[in-house]
Amino acid sequence: MEMLNFLAATVEPGDFTGFTFFIGSVSMLAATVWFLMQHGVVDKKFKDSMLVAALITGIAAVHYFYMREQWVMDKTSPTELRYIDWILTVPLMVVEFALLTGVGMSKLFWLSVVMLVTGYFGESGVTGMLDAQIWGAISGAAYFWMAYEVGCLTIFGGPTGAVGKALASGSGKIPAAGRMLQWFVLVGWAIYPIGYMAGTDGWYSFVAISDDAMNIIYNLGDAVNKIGFGMAVWYAAKS
Amino acid sequence: MSSTLKSKLVGLALAICLIFFGVEKSYSYIIFIFVMLSIGIPHGSIDHIIAFLNPAARRFKNKFTFYLVYLSLIILNIFFWVISPFLGLFIFLIISCYHFGETQVIGYHHTNNRALNFVVGANLLLSLFLNNIFELQDILYIIPEFSNLDLTTYSNVFFLLISIVILMISILNFKIERKVPLYAEMTIIYFIFYHTDLLTSFALYFGFCHSLPMLVLEFKEFKNDTFTKFYIKTLPFTLLSVIFGFILYIFNNELLSSDNLILFVFIVISSLTLPHVFIMNDFVKDK
Repeated sequence: MEMLNFLAATVEPGDFTGFTFFIGSVSMLAATVWFLMQHGVVDKKFKDSMLVAALITGIAAVHYFYMREQWVMDKTSPTELRYIDWILTVPLMVVEFALLTGVGMSKLFWLSVVMLVTGYFGESGVTGMLDAQIWGAISGAAYFWMAYEVGCLTIFGGPTGAVGKALASGSGKIPAAGRMLQWFVLVGWAIYPIGYMAGTDGWYSFVAISDDAMNIIYNLGDAVNKIGFGMAVWYAAKS
Repeated sequence: MSSTLKSKLVGLALAICLIFFGVEKSYSYIIFIFVMLSIGIPHGSIDHIIAFLNPAARRFKNKFTFYLVYLSLIILNIFFWVISPFLGLFIFLIISCYHFGETQVIGYHHTNNRALNFVVGANLLLSLFLNNIFELQDILYIIPEFSNLDLTTYSNVFFLLISIVILMISILNFKIERKVPLYAEMTIIYFIFYHTDLLTSFALYFGFCHSLPMLVLEFKEFKNDTFTKFYIKTLPFTLLSVIFGFILYIFNNELLSSDNLILFVFIVISSLTLPHVFIMNDFVKDK
């Protein structure tokens, strides 16, 4: 890919979308530093979790610097950079559940593979088969299955999979942290299907969202999800 | 913090600098040559000592047998490249998959799981190639079945996605003591592979994730030496390797006369790697 120099451009006054890219980049960087500092403080069994949290925000920080650069330079949506970021960080976010509970890594990995691959197929049209709606439906099904597995439905008194059960029966602050993570998956991750629908054609095309609005939603959602995910793990880890 | 991790962090810091500051692609040769001469080749330049360090893992009765086998393997590998570049590349890939995987799993799992070693190494190389596939097509013009493939409908993101998916699926099937940290480290490596060109990617991985950690492990075996004394021991054969590469370049055949330096460098590396892999296989047994 073309190399960008993240120091080259500055956000112009009045460019709110560009400002959210800037906020995204610096907040991710700050969170990375924070999680790395906490890595040295938390109990040994949570060290890997803190490292993964730092990695998630660290990778996102690098890509947000790039995204801000692309936005400032030519005002185009940095879709490719977003996908790179998600492809690398979504499995790591899934891994946090396995680290906290010790179960479910295999199933969650498979589900995230289906979610990412079918989502990409739908958005890029690279396969030439099916349409964006069907790929999106498969991707969405994998997302909802994942939400069930990690116990998101228990928020409303519904059933749960093995990971949700392990979170509820965990020691210390794990149940409380698990509840936060479930909220992030249920509400925070919902921005991604919204973005998918905004970027593809289907029965939902009557809802028009501008590039500016979409990027603002993504930027705020990404920051809340990634930093929040790490903070929830840190909450469980701190003594 | 382990010395292996410190070595990798040095590489990560360098990679982040290269990615952030958008270093020109033309500098990749300088980075590659610097890393290869300072870390890459030296880590294999004391094979003649390492081979006799661990009595339990000795393969050779004496130095003469060692040099005979070692040099024969190098010559055999060059022969493979000359008669069939495809065969040469295939052997290099198979051997490298195992060797890179074996050193990559150190610190995460015991190196005695050969299947795991191979799969981890195969994932690394696959990711290196997939994330730089368009560049690789130009380099491997000697294999037209590959270089003529029309991949223009696929974007770089597609190949990143494929490499991550293969990693996720393959790593799940193994029982690994520290599975998540291994996966996390490989994610960082993939991230670097995506954002840097082929030569820089290889230099960063080979230098700081493979060679430097191994060099440090080798140094620990020389209990009475300072690092400077140890490093000086690597210099004679590093110099010989450079001379060997130079001679190979001068007395080239049809394949090498095409001025494809990257391919040529890979042939030299593969020739040095083949015997080195067997020595390292013994060395890392208890790591």
